[in-house]
Amino acid sequence: MDPSADELQVNPLDEEIASLKKQGKSSGPRVSIALRITSHHTHSPKLTAILLNTVAHLRKTLKIECSTILSSPSIKDVLVASLNPQPTPKSAALRPRKPRKSTDRDEHLLLTRSKQQEAYNQQCLYRICASVTAFKVHDPDPNAVDGGHVLGLRFEVMTRGQFLQPYYVMLNRPYPNSSKALRIHRHTVPPAIPLPGLAARHLPAPKQQSGSDSSIPLPKQDLERFVKSLRREIMRYHNRLGVSADLRRSLGAHSQAAADGSSIPPNAIVDVSIADTEAKQIRLTWADERNGRLVMDDDGKVVKFMVFGAEGRDWETTKQLTESQGRVEDVAKMLEEYAAGRDS
Amino acid sequence: MARFSVPTKARLPSSLRVDSSNPAVIKSLGRLSREALISLAISWLDGDTIANAVPYLERRDDEDEVDPDDIYPPCGSVQELYELYVDMQQQKGSKRDVANRILEGDWRHGLSLYQLAMVDFYYLEEHPMSQKWTAYKILPLKTPTKDADDEILQVDDKALNVPRFHPSTFLQSLQDQVLPDIKAHYHFHRPKDLSVLLLRIFVIESPYNSSLALSSVTGSGSSTNFTSSRTVYLAFPDGSSHIYITKSQANGPSAMGESKSLQNLIIHGVPKALSRPRERYTLKPTSLTSRNLETLLDKRGPGRGNAAGGGWSIYASEKNKKSPLDAILPSPPLSRDSSLSDQNRKRVIPLNSDQRSAKRAKLVAQARFGDSGLIADGKGIERVDVLLKDPFPTPAAAENQGLEEEQANAPNEASVSARRRTIDAVLRQAADGDDEESNEPGNPSQWQPTVQITFQGNHVFAGIRQLVEAGIVDGERMPGWMTGEDGVTIGVVKHGRIRGNKGSGL
Repeated sequence: MDPSADELQVNPLDEEIASLKKQGKSSGPRVSIALRITSHHTHSPKLTAILLNTVAHLRKTLKIECSTILSSPSIKDVLVASLNPQPTPKSAALRPRKPRKSTDRDEHLLLTRSKQQEAYNQQCLYRICASVTAFKVHDPDPNAVDGGHVLGLRFEVMTRGQFLQPYYVMLNRPYPNSSKALRIHRHTVPPAIPLPGLAARHLPAPKQQSGSDSSIPLPKQDLERFVKSLRREIMRYHNRLGVSADLRRSLGAHSQAAADGSSIPPNAIVDVSIADTEAKQIRLTWADERNGRLVMDDDGKVVKFMVFGAEGRDWETTKQLTESQGRVEDVAKMLEEYAAGRDS
Repeated sequence: MARFSVPTKARLPSSLRVDSSNPAVIKSLGRLSREALISLAISWLDGDTIANAVPYLERRDDEDEVDPDDIYPPCGSVQELYELYVDMQQQKGSKRDVANRILEGDWRHGLSLYQLAMVDFYYLEEHPMSQKWTAYKILPLKTPTKDADDEILQVDDKALNVPRFHPSTFLQSLQDQVLPDIKAHYHFHRPKDLSVLLLRIFVIESPYNSSLALSSVTGSGSSTNFTSSRTVYLAFPDGSSHIYITKSQANGPSAMGESKSLQNLIIHGVPKALSRPRERYTLKPTSLTSRNLETLLDKRGPGRGNAAGGGWSIYASEKNKKSPLDAILPSPPLSRDSSLSDQNRKRVIPLNSDQRSAKRAKLVAQARFGDSGLIADGKGIERVDVLLKDPFPTPAAAENQGLEEEQANAPNEASVSARRRTIDAVLRQAADGDDEESNEPGNPSQWQPTVQITFQGNHVFAGIRQLVEAGIVDGERMPGWMTGEDGVTIGVVKHGRIRGNKGSGL
């Protein structure tokens, strides 16, 4: 291709790339197209960006296909079979004199990779099915207690049908006298969850061997109950976060209108925010600068609700909105009706 | 201005003015840059704040008395003044001009306490490292039993409630804690890029809350009470049961004990202000002090990193987020390049031993530090003090350790004594709280010197990580506290671990 033809071809090529990007799917032949383009048009930054995008996408597809192939049982059988051939002398003789070592190594690599993939698939499956999973970690600290053996617990969290980053709790066994007793070593649980309190309740430290007071029963550790209650707290916290996010979404249409400068009804809520660490309190702001506070308990039931106007407590609105003392979701519905009702 | 001044318990009002010739006022304005000064003046003239920052304007009725020598003739209206400062933003000039205009022109009758608080916060935003913050944990106390008046309440370690903070309620109850001969001014501020609420407490010793408080007439007449004032900052991180407190700063020369007593007053007053009926709290120091608010937010903040420092940070970082629905095998660290086409792989020249060990050192550093301790992460700790209480290692092991100490302290500086006291306090505290660890009788044949190690720098743990990557520190034999995974800046090491941090300090 000569340079002039190159220049002419920019547009059709651009289009092709765009369509390629749109399709998202790609297979062998398209790869070659993309690569051919790279060699000719590296000078255009826009084009390069698109190409890089495509390449990244292709690489990802390749990875997905790789892992799918590797995890298929038939491929594994083939791999195992090729590694342990029953070498008849005949076949060995028939084989071309190829350095057998490298293919062997590649197959070994593939097999280990396939094994890793299998293990990973299993881990994913467990993570999908059970919301709490355990794993073993090795503490890299050379002075770690108990030889660095650490039990990891993984708490899955989901929001709107998506797995969020799980929370981790690592436990070790630091007590020399009672070898079974666990203690929280590290964790990634946010401070909104009362982990220390739960740990003190369900994983109490074993008493020193003071010996004499055998009348007091030794505190017993109950890992299962600890995990159960911790999981419940985490779920509650996330549900509360979800409720306030839902509230914000359902009522939040007006905040955009406010940003645009268009007029909004005075009963519309313009801001919904979380007011405390545990996300048990929601702060509401109306368009006419009234403020509200909504307090819920562990289970999402509304405990307190109040509205402040310009001159102190706004009893009228409070009364109007708290007729159905129930769950937060009900109150959210009431708020929506209230916002829509008066201005219509 | 009030004609009478009655001793009172109320707080200092925001509109109270400090004379603009006060050296402390001139000094605090002089610390700001020109841009900050102009935007500060503009924000003072803005609608909501003008009540606390009334400028000196030309009066209509005495128009004939215009002073021809006045360099900064007063403007006719706030709007005019506002436009003047907006124009100034476009022009070039020295910061001196703006400061002088504020002090001798538009606010010649003095700057209100509100304005001074804003000046200080602008300075804090321009110089975020100017304050040294100490993190405290808010812990719930057990409810007192019925008929014991002076019992010492224990920390309720089984409590499940998380302390909550409400700014205006907190201020009211904090004001109740303040003694009548001390007057305080409070100002809340929320910095733009950090999720904390800052509270500036300006304390002055005076029974009055009028202008008398700021200009007490002493023998010389002109000297102000301002020099005896103190400023303390509190920071309340969002969604975290911690609180950060700075050391108090004096405007004038002061005795050491004085500022300490104010610090104590606050440390005792804050938990009382946080408490409510049937819900009491206490503050517990967490051995973390840093100038960097971001570090504190990372280690004692609302996120996941509070008890997952060092290598454990991989569990807390968002980078490694992986949904179980995504079945692609995660690639091990440092293997990002190996995913390139295999043509590349075949061309790789086998590494020589130096390169291999360098790569290994990098991998080890990655394993020990995870995603923490990177120079550019902006979470630097500038000082770590560690006291070793382990028996001296045998000569064979000793030679490996010599290099790890960046600076072993010798008690020859003046500041050491103060630091030593803090260390001693920590030591005592650690010894007191030593209930779960059996105090095994020290082997008398082992030599146990007191070794204190101080690491200093912009980002201590990033420095250690670089040493590991360079192969100077053996990453595999390095003790865990050198990775910063305990999240403390002062600690006692016993059995190779920071004392009390067998776990996450829960």
